[in-house]
Amino acid sequence: MTEEEIIAKTKEVFIETFELNAADLRPEKHLFVDLGLDSLDTVDLIVALQEKFDVKLRDDERVRAVRTLQDVYDYIMKVQKEMASGS
Amino acid sequence: MGAVSPLGTDIESLAAGIEAGRNATHVMDEWTKCAGLLTHLAAPAELKNEKLIPRQNRRSMGRMSVFAVQAAEQALADAGIAVDSIPPERMGCVIGSTIGSMKSISDMFEKVLPGWDISGLTSMTFFQCISHTAAMNVAHHLKITGTVMAPAAACASGLQAVGTAYDLVRSGRQDMVLCGGAEELHPTVIASFDVLYATSAGYNNRPLETPRPFDRDRDGLVCGEGCGILLVEDYEHAKARNAPIYGEITGYWTCGSGMHVSQSDRQTMVRCMKNAMNEASVEPKDVDYLNAHATATRHGDAEEAAAIREIFGRGVPVSSMKGNLGHTLGAAGAIELILSLLMMKQGILFPTHNLKNIAPECEGLDHIMESREKQVDVLLKNSFAFGGINAAMVCKRA
Repeated sequence: MTEEEIIAKTKEVFIETFELNAADLRPEKHLFVDLGLDSLDTVDLIVALQEKFDVKLRDDERVRAVRTLQDVYDYIMKVQKEMASGS
Repeated sequence: MGAVSPLGTDIESLAAGIEAGRNATHVMDEWTKCAGLLTHLAAPAELKNEKLIPRQNRRSMGRMSVFAVQAAEQALADAGIAVDSIPPERMGCVIGSTIGSMKSISDMFEKVLPGWDISGLTSMTFFQCISHTAAMNVAHHLKITGTVMAPAAACASGLQAVGTAYDLVRSGRQDMVLCGGAEELHPTVIASFDVLYATSAGYNNRPLETPRPFDRDRDGLVCGEGCGILLVEDYEHAKARNAPIYGEITGYWTCGSGMHVSQSDRQTMVRCMKNAMNEASVEPKDVDYLNAHATATRHGDAEEAAAIREIFGRGVPVSSMKGNLGHTLGAAGAIELILSLLMMKQGILFPTHNLKNIAPECEGLDHIMESREKQVDVLLKNSFAFGGINAAMVCKRA
């Protein structure tokens, strides 16, 4: 999956799950401060990302460090690369 | 008062539907794939404008909680109370239902059970499934900080909620309580009645002819959904702020039959109605209208008719709204109480829809078979439920 595809699919998650406008989904946006998510939403974000990318994220400690939309893109790209390399 | 019902998404459409003699029964085509389900009928309400509820409040709501929030907002507006003027701690919220959102419960099982894996569960699943989901969501959405409760007594939940609100207000614990019942349709809800052969299964190809409360040709209930909400308020408090008053609750009783989990029992129905009337200090001759529970099951209608006959004979006009609305289960007591109060206000009694030939076992009552004008000063509302639960409420003209 290309970086563009990952970004597009991640944006779909935010639009579908959190009913956000595509125009608001800029990489620097903070999930809590700018996009209005809260701690319960992050649980649902993990569930939605798992379904969208067919990955298991629930037990991954790194997900707790995600703050901005760019962090989410970077995290999913790392996970995809790890899966591709079999690690 | 506010309501979302099988006849529409507000009180006006509900009242207009009853007045026009509409029947809300539909064939649920998508449920015919459910093996073993005898009835294909239900009375659905319309889910609309749910996105007017902010996402962060709506995310914990299943279908029934959306209905409840919409009905509660209508009730507040009707009562002349702005959401931002709800008094801290002095307004309560008591909304009952049979169970939490059955769609959410079913979705949860479908996700978890095949692989015994919870990693697909969202944070909100629990809040949609819990038994007090409607009360909790309405209280959260409206920022109600008084007593929040959820009576769960199946088809008596709605009337028990209003009765509980009455107790909270008359004890002085609350000045006002938003109260009522909520329910949502799902094949597993229908199944609970269908496995007991309590649903209407003989009218799948002519849905408008069922349910038929008290009728010779009745063959069971049709499940409905929706929510009815009333604002029960201390009388002096309401008068002081010039609130619109639909009626005064003067008596309420609820009791168990101690007899059988599914079979209605006429003797304890009689006791329940008499105790409610005693509390209201009214005699049978004083009651001008009785709104029956009558769901159109063979046994339940016969028992209720016998109980009414024993107390009133032909002395009180009787009708059931379920021929129009189906059985909205946990919401029924509240929605039908709302209709009863509207009848008292209008001086018009609406009939039992689909009652054409009174069953022999239901005779000896003054069945309302056509609309009639009548001044109603005192009304009695019945609700009965699985588990041998009886509830009755007396209201008088305010």
